[in-house]
Amino acid sequence: MSFVSIEFMVFTAVCAAGYYMIPKKYQWVWLLVFSYVYYLAAGPSYLFFILFATTVTYLGGLWVEAGARWAVPAVLLADFGMLAFIKYTNFILGNINGLFGTNIRELKLLLPLGISFDTFQATGYLLDVHWKRCKAERNPFRFALFLAFFPQIMQGPIGRYSRLADQLYAEREFDIARIERGLYRIVWGFFKKIVIADNAVLYVDAIFDNYNTMPGYGIMGILLYGAQLYADFSGGIDIVIGIAEMLGITLDENFTQPFFATSITDFWHRWHITLGTWMKDYLFYPVSLSRWMGKFGKWSRTRFGKNIGRALPICLANIIVFLVVGIWHGPAWHNIFYGLYNGVIIGISGLLAKNYRDWKKKLNINKDSRLFYCFQVARTFILVNISWYLDRAGSTHQALIMLRDSITKFRIGVDMIDASSTWAGSAYAPLIAALFGCLVVLIHSILRERKVDIRALLIEKPVILRCLVLFLLLMSLVVIGNKPLSQGGFIYANF
Amino acid sequence: MDEIIQILEEIQPDGDYETCDTLIDDGILDSFAILSIVSELEDEFDIRITPADIIPENFNSAAALYEMVQRLQG
Repeated sequence: MSFVSIEFMVFTAVCAAGYYMIPKKYQWVWLLVFSYVYYLAAGPSYLFFILFATTVTYLGGLWVEAGARWAVPAVLLADFGMLAFIKYTNFILGNINGLFGTNIRELKLLLPLGISFDTFQATGYLLDVHWKRCKAERNPFRFALFLAFFPQIMQGPIGRYSRLADQLYAEREFDIARIERGLYRIVWGFFKKIVIADNAVLYVDAIFDNYNTMPGYGIMGILLYGAQLYADFSGGIDIVIGIAEMLGITLDENFTQPFFATSITDFWHRWHITLGTWMKDYLFYPVSLSRWMGKFGKWSRTRFGKNIGRALPICLANIIVFLVVGIWHGPAWHNIFYGLYNGVIIGISGLLAKNYRDWKKKLNINKDSRLFYCFQVARTFILVNISWYLDRAGSTHQALIMLRDSITKFRIGVDMIDASSTWAGSAYAPLIAALFGCLVVLIHSILRERKVDIRALLIEKPVILRCLVLFLLLMSLVVIGNKPLSQGGFIYANF
Repeated sequence: MDEIIQILEEIQPDGDYETCDTLIDDGILDSFAILSIVSELEDEFDIRITPADIIPENFNSAAALYEMVQRLQG
């Protein structure tokens, strides 16, 4: 059941209406039932995966709390083992076949909805219990809701038990202001998805699919891909957070104006935030503080001196984390290089942090000046866009060819798409619609960057004005949204 | 306490470590700085800091760091 479908809207409306009509003590049970119905609608076989992760992690939490030391590695192995088997078996088989000339047949594996988001949420809970940051949940049905809460299933945000559990099980009164805030957020998400992402994808797919026959459109393609990716993912998250808000549940934010980032590190603090914080808390710190990394740190301090010696293990841990992020993005080498590209830049930046400070002093650069801020934002934007060639291309070879052709054969235009196949019968219309959407999002982002709570401002305005804003947003979906593709899924639902 | 403030100033020179109690919440210390501090504290005070100790409550101020060091030494 795609978020962009009448069925899903009816499903959500019935869930929200019933939630406030039934006795309050059953509200969390209501959410659990709807969450499992949502999963069931995707196919009965998908149920196996969520039930497996729920059962193993629920029991694991109890065992860990009871002091069973073996339970942490065993449950982590079970949860990540299933994810790795489903996502990476065919990648490994393909590489074995390529390397040794064998012909091992690939397996037909089902990739359950948002399996990695569930896995991260489950393993985060287990480690929190292990580190005594939260108590193990005793009620298996309550725990099942924590892992299966339906708006989050497909693409996150990855929730933390300490912030989410009490909210899921709380008893709530109907609050019209909360419903209205949630509704604005949902419609805003649909605007991003249908007006920007689903229009931009027409050009992105055509440019990347025909990079050999129509070279040179790389820069246009990658800029539109950035718009598509951000609008698709953050739009989907807006819908998720809006639905949860209607139910009185505040989920963690996943994006805070990433295109205003001043460094790659800052970008990852603003882009897919819940993945970044998960990686930091459950991988980066454990790897950095492991005994073997401690030994490496001691060796590097003796060998390279205090400053570099202290920074080297942290750089190595960063590269390991981003290698994992790359592998998570998909079982292909170009994704692994995408992760390494980010990890190496962040690692080197950390290593040279003290030098940067010294250079800025020597060159008399005012780090708080507007000009230097603009330089940092532009530099980060370019570095991020280069990384997206690796993310979007079908192979590393394609990414490198497209990067080269972007400069040597640069061109822009719309002749890569068939005008008659677009919703407006024009090759320009979807592009203009996407750019208009980007302009609206840019204005919104500038206001958000200045800490303006746009929805709070809107709610203070007369009803007629609020209805007009909603009407205009909804009309834009109908008039300039890309209808045919809007029935499709979200990019990150495939993770 | 003075040693901890000295370590903080050496690793991240821009902070007001005498009074600030939102070093993590306000993003003054990032993960790179946190691990550099951990490395220095482990060497200086002969303690072992584990991932379970890396929570904002332990790193939000020089006083919180001092308390953590005392606890881990105890």
